[in-house]
Formats: sequence, structure tokens, C-alpha cells
Amino acid sequence: MQEFIDFCRGPLFRLTFLVMIFGLIRILILDIWGAVEAYRNAGDKNLAWKSAFIKTIQWLFPVKHVVARRPVYSLISILFHIGLIVVPIFLLAHVQLWKTSVGIAWWTLPYDWANYLTLLTIACSVALLLGRALSKTSRTLSRKQDYLWPILLLLPFATGYICANVTVSPSMYQLVMLTHMLSAEVIFIFLPFTKIAHCVVMPLSQFVMTLAWKFPARIDKKIAATLKKEGQSV
Amino acid sequence: MKRLMTFKSILWTIVGLAMASGITRMLFGLGAITNQSDATPWGIWKGINVVPGIALAAGGFVVTAIIYVMRRHEFSRYSKFAVLLAFLGYISAATSLVVELGLPWLVWHPVIYWQPHSALFEVSWCVILYLTVLFLEFVPVPLDETHWFSGVRRFLIKYKLILVVLGVMISTLHQSSLGTMFLLTPEKLHALWYSSMLPIMFFVSAVAIGPLMVILAVLVVSSLYGRELEREKLGMLGLISMGVLVVYGLIRIIDIAATGKLLLVFDGSWQANIFLLELVLILVLPIIFLAVKKLRYSTAGLWIATISGVLGMVLNRANIAGIMLVQTGNLYIPTIYEIFISVGIISAAILGFLFCVERFKLWETKWEDSRQEPNAQPEFDRSSEVYLGAPRLAGRTIYSMIFVVSLAFGFAVISSDRLYSHGVDDVIAQEARGNGILYIDGNRDNFGVAFGHAEHIKRQQGADSCSVCHHMNLPQDKSSQCSACHRQMYTTTDVFRHDWHASPTGANIACNMCHTPGEEKQKSSAKKCVDCHLDLYPENAVNTFESYLTVSYVDAMHGQCVTCHAERALSDTTKVAQARCPACHTGSLPHYLKEDMRDKLRQPGLSNVIIPKSDVNLELKQGE
Repeated sequence: MQEFIDFCRGPLFRLTFLVMIFGLIRILILDIWGAVEAYRNAGDKNLAWKSAFIKTIQWLFPVKHVVARRPVYSLISILFHIGLIVVPIFLLAHVQLWKTSVGIAWWTLPYDWANYLTLLTIACSVALLLGRALSKTSRTLSRKQDYLWPILLLLPFATGYICANVTVSPSMYQLVMLTHMLSAEVIFIFLPFTKIAHCVVMPLSQFVMTLAWKFPARIDKKIAATLKKEGQSV
Repeated sequence: MKRLMTFKSILWTIVGLAMASGITRMLFGLGAITNQSDATPWGIWKGINVVPGIALAAGGFVVTAIIYVMRRHEFSRYSKFAVLLAFLGYISAATSLVVELGLPWLVWHPVIYWQPHSALFEVSWCVILYLTVLFLEFVPVPLDETHWFSGVRRFLIKYKLILVVLGVMISTLHQSSLGTMFLLTPEKLHALWYSSMLPIMFFVSAVAIGPLMVILAVLVVSSLYGRELEREKLGMLGLISMGVLVVYGLIRIIDIAATGKLLLVFDGSWQANIFLLELVLILVLPIIFLAVKKLRYSTAGLWIATISGVLGMVLNRANIAGIMLVQTGNLYIPTIYEIFISVGIISAAILGFLFCVERFKLWETKWEDSRQEPNAQPEFDRSSEVYLGAPRLAGRTIYSMIFVVSLAFGFAVISSDRLYSHGVDDVIAQEARGNGILYIDGNRDNFGVAFGHAEHIKRQQGADSCSVCHHMNLPQDKSSQCSACHRQMYTTTDVFRHDWHASPTGANIACNMCHTPGEEKQKSSAKKCVDCHLDLYPENAVNTFESYLTVSYVDAMHGQCVTCHAERALSDTTKVAQARCPACHTGSLPHYLKEDMRDKLRQPGLSNVIIPKSDVNLELKQGE
């Protein structure tokens, strides 16, 4: 058991964490590259830069668009995101691990705050999951990964809370710790290749969407060729 | 198409693994990922990448010389291939050299700091110059794709002949000077490979195998991209190369026979067997397959001849630059990370080659069928008519994914234990033992120097001569031993003991005795040692250093002895041998130490310096 925990803490953690970091850098580069290429090929190069920029800012702090329409959902979602980002990065236990292994440390959350935020994040993820399952509109729009992600994100928070606060037998503690690490590593490895990659490409999405309406020059001929209707009006 | 994608995916995987190992090497040093040591500081990268890489790049100057100097223009369609191969070969060799040497920001040093006595000085100049020539030869190809610098491009194409001739000149120097370098290792290199003809052999074999490498590249490209082969022309090129191979074989065999090493070839040792394998690969197989007319113009014959020739060449250079050099008794087996880097650099070169093949007009002729062009992949799925995206986009997505995962994997497999070295060991220098003859052995590893102390006093004329060597003494002492101040074997020591001076159990002096009140308490503003200790420097002292830091014991000993000995060697021509290492490091020990030493040798872990044990045993037997 201890060997397996050491393996999860050592090579497996390095692998999954680096896959996440490099994968996110990759998806960011690919996105920018694709956007630049699309812009070069676009027939109409007049882009609404300003409105796209404003929209990006608005969606990064989604007060205007969402709060007005679905206030409860937006509030839960915002709290969920805050917990998701702040707790793993600024938890004292995590920072200590970084300090002992790599030698760097940063500001940490007070113990109580971390506990409250963890509980809040768990509650928010359950609420979001229920909201998605109960609303008919959401249900029709949802894919499997939309249900799986909140559950997967909930796991390390729940197990982490148990490790930090509940007194359990040592073997049980090891099991919970293992679940904590393994679930986090599963998140790391799938993060850059699924919808969670929005954590880096989100600022670009408005520009990409604006670009998507600018068709490449002479695309009509290609479409006509595909439909085998060359020379006719499509 | 699928075959190409699989091939490139494998290459990207290896490049990712190599990149992880390479970054770790650059950040944490050679010790983090290699098995190299003081006994074998010459690792796999030299034997596999640098020396064979340079040799395989010889196609660049050989083929261009055949085309432009000998005016055999029927081969002109392979000139760009040859130049590209040479360019990539030199870049990969230079890259692996930088990985091996480290400190890449000092790479320009040979340009400024000249050391004309060094064989490597010529090698580095040749690499720099030839890389420049190759760059100028190749750069018109990518410039062809854009309208930028079209004047430069036309200029370079117009004066191509000058570049070709320069390339031939520099390559002749460089290929042979690589061989010259191994003339320095007569006692290290196995007798079957060592020869005073090495420079000529290196040059001739490079001329022979260079065109074969170009043929191999053409074969690979045509099989990957489904391009029709021009077997007659490739066969003719092979025939030229075979002619040179025969010359090379004759030189090699005559050299072996003339130096009386023929019996070594058939003595059945593993070195002799590798030698025979090498001869079969580099000489027998290519000559047979290129000499027989039917085989020469067949695809299979060309494949076998080129692969065997190239493998034989790599084996030959690896033998000379690595495998057969290992004579120190310490077995060096490269780590998996060294192999990653070695193979990764080759993979990156192949990827660069394929990139150029796909993007640039490397063939002089147009594609006969435009659908066979490497870029002409279907943009729409033929059955479902779904848009697949631009083919470059698909490639980009897949290869970057593979690269990223293998890069992370490469970092994950490097054990964290390897990353932290202990640095220089903290070894306290021990005082010299003996009386008339001092045995200087600071780290007590029993490999020291017997120093005739009494004899030196006599030679320096009397007891007043102490200050020549004892340049500084402890307070109230006349001639302190070296290890009193040079306390560390390999690192500097701070000789001023501040805490002892301030402590009530030590000197017990107040701060203002040394530090001026009101000023910052720093060493620079405090009193000097000699202000209180008037007898630190002896009268007529030769050296009066005013520093609290002493150099290491090793540096102090060498500085003290070598300075004087070198001066004597210069002024007195009968004393030239004095300045050489064996003048002091004789290996013979004073008789009273031999008993002591025999006991010490039984204890493990004594040696900081690796010296073959056999010498010591020999010395002991003579003593008995």
C-alpha cells in the first residue's frame, strides 16, 4: 500500500501533472495557431476586435450576462469555480509538499477558510449536478462527460476533507489518501483533452467565434466540388 | 499515408523523451542522467552522434563536388538532398556536442580564444565554417517558397560553385582532422583500430559512404511518399562510391598487414569479431551489391548495400570513438536517458528532413501525378464527404499530442534521486607525513607525492629558505604546514575564525577591537589580521596574499610546486622533465609507508582518484 502511495506521489504525479501543464500549453498554442491561420485564410478580414474583447472580459467575470438571467445558477457556478481554483493551489498542505519537493512556496489559505471553501465546493458541485439532471433543457444538451466531470471533481475535495479533518484508522487513511491522489491524477490527465481545457482557451473563445463566421476565400468552390455541383449555384 | 504517420509518430515520441532527458541534463548537469565518470568522461553521444554524424554528412560535399566540379549534371537532382543531409548531420552533431559539453552560451569561445596546438581547435573551426557554408548552400531552397530576399537567393545560386569548392576544402580538413584527434590515443584505442593512417582512413571512408547515405535518404523518401525511383542514376552514384570503398578497403587491409596486426584479426576475441563484422558491413556487402550489375540497379540491392554501408560506418566510428577506447577497467554502460538523447537527436534530424521534403521543392523535377504530392492529401473523406480539415491541421494535432505525452513521460521516469548530486565532497586535507622525505597525501587515498623536504632545503641554501614555500604562518609559528590554512582538499577555506575570536572561550575580544565603532561591521572595514598578528608573514616572504580565503589543498600544492618547477624547466634545458606530472607523481612510495599502505588497501572506499589498481600492486611486489 505504502509503495503504491509513493508511486502515486512520485512518478505518477509527475507524469499526470506534466501532461496537464504541457497539454494546456499545447492546446493554447494550437488554438492561437489555428486562429491565426483562419484569419490569414479569411475572405473578409474585418474583425470586431473590440466587441470580442469586451465579450471576453464579460464572460471571464460573468456578472452581466448570467446573473441577470439565472442568478442562482450563476452564483453557484462562480463559487464552485473559486473553490476549484483556490483550494488546491493555496492549501497549506499542498504548498508544503511543493516546498519540500521543489523548494518553492507561496501564500496559503487559513485552515478554517480552506475547510469552509472545500465544503462549499462540494455542495456547489452536488447542486450543479442536480441542476443539470433535473432541468429538462440541460438534460437534452448534456453529454456523458458533463455528468462525470462534477463527480470526478468532487472526489478529491471530499477525500481531502476527510484526510484533513476526520480521525480514521491508519489503513483507512491510506485508502482515502490514495483515492484523493488518484482522482486528482485522473483529473490532471484528462483536463487538457476535454472541455475543462476552457481554463486556458476561454479568453480566446470569443475571438475564435468571431472568426468562425469569416469563411476562407474561395470556400464556395470547395463546397461545390464536394457536392459535385461545380459550375452551378449552390 | 498511414505508414508515414506511424513513422513520424514514433519519431515524435522519441524526440519527446529525449527533450525531457536533455532539459534535465542542462538544468541538473551530466551526473543527473548519465553514467559518465572521471574515468569515462567520453560518453555515448560522441561515439554514436558526433563522430558518425559528421561522417554520414560527407555526402554533402562529395555529391555536390561530383555534380558541380566534375560536371556530372545527371546527378543534379540529388544535390539538394545531399546538402540537406549534410546540413542536418552537422546540426545534429553540433547539438549533441552542446548537450555533452554544456554551457551552450560559451560556444563562441574557440572563435576568440585561439589554441592552435589543439586538434579540437581545428575541429571546432571546421564545424563553424562548414555549418556556415552549408547554411548558405541550403538557404536558397526555403527562400524559393517566399518572395523575400530573392536577390540573396539569386546571388547564392549564381556563386554556388564557390560554396561547393569551399565545402570540399573545409570537409577535407575536417573529416581527416577528426581522425587526427584519435592519433592522440595510441595507448587507449585497440590496436586493430589505431593506425597512423587514421586521418586518411577517416577521409576516404567518409567520401565512400557519403553518397551511400544520400542514396539511402532517397530510398526512404521514395518508399514513404510513393515516389518513383531512378535506379540507373542511383546505381551509377553507388558505383562511384564503390570505387572509393575499394580504395578504403585496400588502405585498411594493407595497413593492418604492414603493421603486423593480421594475427590479431583472427584471435577470436570479441574485439576481433567486431572488427570482422565491421569489415563485412562497411566493405564486403556494399562492394558485392554494388559491383554486380544486376544487384546494383535493383531496389533491394540498393537497400542492402546502403544500409549495410551506413551501419558499418556507424560501427566503425563508434568503435574508434567509444567502444574500443574503454581500457581503463571501469565499465561504462550508458543510461536509458543517454540513449534517449542519442536516438532523439537522430529522430529530430529525420523529422527535419521529412519536413523539408514535404514543404520545399527538393526534387528538381515536378511530380508526375499531382495526387502523389506529399501535401495533396484528401481534404474530404471520400465516402462520407465530410470535411476532414486541412491535412496539416490533422498532423499538427496528432504529433503535438504524442510529443506532449512523451515529454511528460520522459520527465516522470527520471528518478528524483538522480537529480540531486552531493556536489564536491567535503574532504579535510590531512597533514603530510614523514620527516626528511614528506609524503604528501591530503585525502589519504595513498596516491600521493613523496616530497624531498630536506633535499629542497639543501637546494634552496639553508634554513633561511623556509619563506620561499612557507609564505604565511599561523600566529607564533615559524613554518606552519600547508594543511593548517589550506584545510579543504578540493574547495576554498575561510581561514579567519570569527566566532572563535569573539567567543569567551576563545580569544574573547570585544567587537570594537577589530571593527571601528559607528561603521558597518564588515570584513572590509575591520582590522587586518596582520594588524594584531605581526608574525603572520615571514621575513623575505615571496607571496603576501591579503585574503581570508585560501585555495584548495590540491590547488595550493600544484601552484607551489608547478610554478617553481616550470620556471626551472624553462631556464635549464637539462631539467625539462621537471615540469611534467610524473616528475612528482612517480607512484613509488617511501619504504616506511608501504606497510601502512598494504593495510589501507584492504579497506574499501578509499580512492577518490581513480588510478588502475595494477600499478599499485606492481609497486608493492617490487617493495617486497
